[in-house]
Amino acid sequence: MHIKSIVISIFLFLLLTFNVTALVIGSDEEEILIDANFAGQDLLVFGAFYADPSQPRDEKGDLLIEIVGPSEDVMLRKKKSFIGFWLNAYQVEFRDIPGFYYLSSTSEIDREFLDQNNIGILKAKRSSEIDWSSLTINWGGVNSDTDKKEFNEALVRTKTQEGLYKEANNEIQILDGNLFKTSIHIPNTVPVGKYDVNVYLIIDEKIKRQYSYQFTITRIGIEEAIYNFAFDFPLLYGLISLAIAAIAGWSGAELFRRFRKS
Amino acid sequence: MSIYLPIAELSVNLFVLLSLGGGVGFLSGMFGLGGGFLMTPLLIFMGIPTNVAVATSANQIVASSISGTIGHWRQGLVDFKMGGVLLTGSVFGSVLGIWIFKTLVSSGQIETAISILYFVLLTSIGTLMLIESSQVIRDRIRKKTVIKKIHYHNWAHKLPFKVRFYKSKLYISVIPPIIIGFFIGVLSAVMGIGGSFILIPAMIYFLGMPTSKVIGTSLFQIIFITAIITLLHTTTTFAVDAILAFFLIISSVIGAQLGVLVANKLRGEEIRALLAVIVLVVAVKIALDLLVPPEEIFNLTVLRVIF
Repeated sequence: MHIKSIVISIFLFLLLTFNVTALVIGSDEEEILIDANFAGQDLLVFGAFYADPSQPRDEKGDLLIEIVGPSEDVMLRKKKSFIGFWLNAYQVEFRDIPGFYYLSSTSEIDREFLDQNNIGILKAKRSSEIDWSSLTINWGGVNSDTDKKEFNEALVRTKTQEGLYKEANNEIQILDGNLFKTSIHIPNTVPVGKYDVNVYLIIDEKIKRQYSYQFTITRIGIEEAIYNFAFDFPLLYGLISLAIAAIAGWSGAELFRRFRKS
Repeated sequence: MSIYLPIAELSVNLFVLLSLGGGVGFLSGMFGLGGGFLMTPLLIFMGIPTNVAVATSANQIVASSISGTIGHWRQGLVDFKMGGVLLTGSVFGSVLGIWIFKTLVSSGQIETAISILYFVLLTSIGTLMLIESSQVIRDRIRKKTVIKKIHYHNWAHKLPFKVRFYKSKLYISVIPPIIIGFFIGVLSAVMGIGGSFILIPAMIYFLGMPTSKVIGTSLFQIIFITAIITLLHTTTTFAVDAILAFFLIISSVIGAQLGVLVANKLRGEEIRALLAVIVLVVAVKIALDLLVPPEEIFNLTVLRVIF
């Protein structure tokens, strides 16, 4: 972190001296590790941006920070009441959507701008256009535009409720004229994989500078070992689970028998 | 203190987890039941995904039934031959059960199916236990002695393929125990239970087995049926969570032994009535979850993460 701060200071000096538009960022984590005690974590993204010192602050442009998690395929189901019972009645499979998405800005987020520049939850990946013809549908179709809109909104809403999607206005803090920072909560249900951080410097509704970097979220230790083992060697995993159960059951009975005798 | 469950992919409070395992273990030790029928729904209430709850319960029941069988076996109360015949049916039943389970998972109906099955099951068990225990309490107050029939002769004795079960002093067809085993196998695989509370009355009333040997024999066959189901789950649904199973096993084994100790010092009927009430409360909670209009009618399942 010290080195990064120094790097940022040097950059700032150069920028001030040569008066160019530029953007530098850093983060306190390059790898987030999920271990047995993982209960979520805050990620700090910070940096410096600079446009033109002769202009007042508002004219210097806005920042947009976007974090896009690994892609995943999800099944979204809608419940319907059947004779009083709430059952899953419709299902739609969404392919290649971000498993985590975060967007924040220094000012109000402008929807039109996002659409024009292909930034947004369902636009984060080029291939994420939903192919409605590939949908699996149980009882009744999802065809009309209102149905599609409803499912699209529900996808974002349910992910937001899980803390995996977030769009926040004005959440980036400006520390002084040129330094910014923001803190992003990574919940414990976060998917593992590669995360892209994109920071955009926007001036006059145009992206002047873009800076991107990646960090990874990895399971480590016993969590990682168990997860991989369960999927790579399922039969052995099952046999070991049984062995543990057998030893625990047997020793439990033995220990208490001796305990009761004495 | 929270602990991250690698297969369920979420963290839970360790203290809550141990209390749950210990509590269910305590009740199962006290009543000689496997406890799976309480464990699975309570895990689901805790937020564990239904498939993980069912599969991991099966693994936990292996431990508790081994623990229980040892006690009965030492007293010579296990009919291994009968256990083996029941198990033959259970093996086929559990394969069918796992297939049903997988189909329900992929069609998105597993939560609903499990809820309805548990509601029916818990309501019937709870009601029967409540009626039975209140009758015993009433009879005790009136100082009535109940004369129990030792041996039942029914249709199970008239079918072909008769085999002699020396331990149970029976000479009956193997067809009824195989059918019973098959049925229990299906239920165990779908619901993550041992099924002793169905198996025990079935063995007494349909097969006419002596009551003293019924619990040990049912526990003995439950070891193998839940072991097979655990393996089927690890290889087909990948839903057994080793960390979750580990803490449930440790706490339930200790809880079960304490339950046995307490059971010897207490009067059975009152505790049975209490358990009946607990079971009915869980059933009502399940029914409400199905009937009350949900706040969010959409729900999301991650199918796969693309690396």
